[in-house]
Amino acid sequence: MNRRDILQGLSLSMLSRKLLSNEPLLAQTAKTKPKPIAANDRINVGVIGPGSRGREVMRQMLRIPGVEMAAVCDVYEPRFAEVNELVGKKVMSYKDYRELLERKDLDVILIATPPIFHSEYTIAALEKGKPVYGEKTLGFTVQDCNDVVAAVKRTGQIFQIGHQLRYASWIQQSIKRVRQGDIGVPTHVYAYWHRADDWRRPVNDPKLEHLFNWRLYNETSGGLLEELGSHAIDIANWVFGETPETIMGSTSIAVYHDGRTVGDNVQAVIGYSKGRRMFFSSITDNAMMADQIWIYGTEGSAQITLQDATFYRPTQKTVTASSHTDIVERGVKTGASYKTSWEMPYRGPGERVQFPSGDDPTLTACQAFFQSVRDKHQPVASAEVGFGSAIACVVGKQAMTEGRTITVPQLPKS
Amino acid sequence: MLKIAPPLWPMICLVILCQNIRHLAPQSHTVTTKPLQLYSSSHPAMGTTYSLYLYASSATEADAESAAVFEEIDRLEQLLSNYRESSELSRINREADSSEVTTDPETFEFLQTSLEWSALSNGAFDITVGKLMKAWGFFRASGHRPTQQELTQVSNEIGWEKVQLDPQRRTVRFLSPGIELDPGGIGKGYAIERSVAILRADNVQAALLSAGSSTIYALGAPPGTSGWKVRVPTLGDHQNTLSTVTLRDTSISTANCSEKNFIQNHHLYCHIMNPHTLQPVEGILQVSIIDPSATASDALSNVLFVSSARQRASILQHLPKDSAFIITGTRLTSRCKTIRWTGTRNGYCSSRMANKTH
Repeated sequence: MNRRDILQGLSLSMLSRKLLSNEPLLAQTAKTKPKPIAANDRINVGVIGPGSRGREVMRQMLRIPGVEMAAVCDVYEPRFAEVNELVGKKVMSYKDYRELLERKDLDVILIATPPIFHSEYTIAALEKGKPVYGEKTLGFTVQDCNDVVAAVKRTGQIFQIGHQLRYASWIQQSIKRVRQGDIGVPTHVYAYWHRADDWRRPVNDPKLEHLFNWRLYNETSGGLLEELGSHAIDIANWVFGETPETIMGSTSIAVYHDGRTVGDNVQAVIGYSKGRRMFFSSITDNAMMADQIWIYGTEGSAQITLQDATFYRPTQKTVTASSHTDIVERGVKTGASYKTSWEMPYRGPGERVQFPSGDDPTLTACQAFFQSVRDKHQPVASAEVGFGSAIACVVGKQAMTEGRTITVPQLPKS
Repeated sequence: MLKIAPPLWPMICLVILCQNIRHLAPQSHTVTTKPLQLYSSSHPAMGTTYSLYLYASSATEADAESAAVFEEIDRLEQLLSNYRESSELSRINREADSSEVTTDPETFEFLQTSLEWSALSNGAFDITVGKLMKAWGFFRASGHRPTQQELTQVSNEIGWEKVQLDPQRRTVRFLSPGIELDPGGIGKGYAIERSVAILRADNVQAALLSAGSSTIYALGAPPGTSGWKVRVPTLGDHQNTLSTVTLRDTSISTANCSEKNFIQNHHLYCHIMNPHTLQPVEGILQVSIIDPSATASDALSNVLFVSSARQRASILQHLPKDSAFIITGTRLTSRCKTIRWTGTRNGYCSSRMANKTH
């Protein structure tokens, strides 16, 4: 994929010449060694891509003592006023990310651009010696994903992927219990992200259509699987303790025939070892199911939402009977598999997972990131974790386009 | 999803002048230059239903504005809800009595505004009423009388002056354990104010946004009119009109006891609390106030509801651009009073006017 062509298709007037140029990255020629950050030092953040998600992460970062927003980069100039309002003061702004990365006083970089730029900006920041909090997904192509993982290893810098659900205490508790066998052997993860929302941003100037609605076009977006499904795939990876082996899927435009090229609905089946499966569904004209993940095991189920988690065990385990139990010999019955009691959804009680803190997962993810930066250790949501979900999304897009099952590449061995 | 006529509003009702109202439905992306049409949409949030009426040239345009407004309201619910453990306000409630909590500029400014209203009203408005609301059963419950022991405990856990804000470091600290912030008296107005800012930025010429029946903002005016006509229903009789007001670039908020209350031993207990007495407010039935700021009118409706008649007069004297419609007493002995009120006075208050000041 030629990013330059795609960029030119977005909005030439809004993009700086330097961004479009083929100059080698300055970052690759200049390595710096920033001074360590002490526990009470102020941390200056440089932000590349303060769109809606970027500003939400910034807002969460501003809730952490000592964190300051020191610089921001975007190709859309009106964004800077929104940043200033959010931060409560004027933040130095740039239209070329390389100028921002030249700033010696920036301690960490937040990257929240469209995924098509993630690898380029992330690698440039890492090469400049800056820890990076990178929004998901890790990369837009297989090469992107490999390159970011390699750059993190090469530079030794801290990198955290924006899979904030890894930092939600109720999800941590749930996955821990699932992995300890609380619902037996987990065999399936069914994830839904259903919305009643056309996913379209209002655009007054047609020239800005692709800049604002990049999610709607195949050239710049992995669609619903990438933008929404990647979080659920990451949870499935966590549950199964591995990355996907295969992916197949389907997508279409069922409702919004408005010129978009990505589907407004997606269904994907992701294969793991031992026949375990994950199913992801996203539709955009009905929000009944909303955003929820079900983990099905041989002895129960766990439901995870963005605010809580509940465990269900509709059937009791078979237990050892008393030696005094009367045993009646019965003949083997044969018949149809239909049983009335099995066909209705379980409507019994569930057990709400107790958790220590209901803090917003993005806040706890950011807190963990800054702690990793101060303590100099790689975070839980590492580049490898990001690879596991991003790579499935990348080849999943291809699988849906070509209508076949594709083998998911594994993390290259270093 | 398209509907032609809106339902009657339960408490404060918009009188629809245009008959061709449409409810939003997915439409083609094509933008056309049609005459302005009135569209409506609604969205559940903050324990109520937000309703948006706006004039737009197409359903697509109206849909986009509606999506932006409701997205903003959802964002603010995630910021301010004390019913959500993951909200910023809940985090502050959990942590600020044991340590300073650094928060974002928007939340900090919201808390500053809330405490300013507390100071201006001598505590009649108090965002720290969280434990008091719980003691009286108005949090996830239908209400009950607390014991004296519970109220004694609550008296230690309430008080806006026990909230310390540090603007330099953007920190919040509770000076006493057990404080709980409850944005109920100001949050919906704030959400409306922020949402209206989005409509203004998008050059929407005429829109009306309401948070249930409690706060409404009228942006601009329907084409060919001087403003949005809003009717205030008669107490306990939603079909009849107490007053009709015409609003343009201003807000109206109403506080009353008809939505949340409980009856015990034939006595009605209102959900609006007097933070000084720790008891539900008595002797007043409804306050409607018009103020250019939805945040201010929301807070003021509660301030005026809790304050004494003398305090109310003093407060309104200092707000010369505001107008109010106040009903005091009981349902059998109610008295109406208006201050600079330009709306109509119908039926209910015709024989109950205490006095009126224009």
